Amino acid sequence: MSADFDVIRGSTGDHHPRASGWGQLFYRDLSYQARMRFVIVGAGRVGLRTARVLREEGHEVVLVEGHDDQATRVRDAGFDCVEGDGSREELLVEAGVENADALGALTGDLNTNFAACLIANHHDCRTVMRIDEDYREGIYQKYADEVDEIVYPERLGAIGAKNALLGGNLQAIADVAEHLQVVLFTITDDSPMKGYNLSEVTLPSQARVLAFGKAGGPMGVPLPDDSLETGDRVAVLADFDVLGDVRQLLLGRSAEETAAAAVEG
Amino acid sequence: MSVTAYVMVKANTGEADRVKTALDDTDDVVEAHIVAGDVDFVVKVETDSPGDVKRVVAGDIRSMSGVERTQTYIAMDD
Repeated sequence: MSADFDVIRGSTGDHHPRASGWGQLFYRDLSYQARMRFVIVGAGRVGLRTARVLREEGHEVVLVEGHDDQATRVRDAGFDCVEGDGSREELLVEAGVENADALGALTGDLNTNFAACLIANHHDCRTVMRIDEDYREGIYQKYADEVDEIVYPERLGAIGAKNALLGGNLQAIADVAEHLQVVLFTITDDSPMKGYNLSEVTLPSQARVLAFGKAGGPMGVPLPDDSLETGDRVAVLADFDVLGDVRQLLLGRSAEETAAAAVEG
Repeated sequence: MSVTAYVMVKANTGEADRVKTALDDTDDVVEAHIVAGDVDFVVKVETDSPGDVKRVVAGDIRSMSGVERTQTYIAMDD
């Protein structure tokens, strides 16, 4: 997905809020970003959580919610909330779709989500649609021209659950493209590069260091003189073909183990 | 007596093109569209009798690989 590269470019100034799927990794890098306006349709688990994250990062969010008890909870949480059917244009206009940077159609109802995206697209608003079953992802990517991005929350949840279950010093964070993955490595006592600076780490040509964090500290932009010590974390964008080499370099383990961990990232 | 029916088809595969081609190639299917929403295809069927609708839907369409369920609406105005 080319969109995810915008997150990387975010560190050089050309940025969009397209961090879906990247977890908290780039949170700090994006936090300086200009204040943007978003409409979120659906204030359930997915919509409300998305709204919270956007608000924490300083953006303006208006929610659209059809159930009055849920709308009350949303307002109690301090959000602006337009109450009613998110597939109706007048409600989306009331929520500010005409001036919004993007609309997230995040209800559990596919028809509502698609209708909201159609309307938002008509108002030249970027659109993000939640789907309910993974087989539909490819269909919407191919046929739904009005939808700019598709999110399937369960896939992201599964990645998080898998990482938690695996534990260890390697976490697959996101599939950027079919053969491209972002992996977070935690430096151990056995790491061949322990004690070296980032500038001394020579990764394969199909791999890049994206972010670096000292042990216990936040992730940030990698600097050449950052030194690699036990517990430090390095986020690397790598082609599957060289993931084993990267792992060998940073953790000192076999390519086979890496490939096994990367599958189904 | 000719019968027109609209069949909502829910798939369980991302191979929408393959299913659409299979639908288009089915006898008595006159139109098949990939649609957004909680079903994936809307199919128009024209047959000689109500029994033939059942044959097309239960026999042909529902036996296609990647088709999960169908819901059929018979037109009353023609």
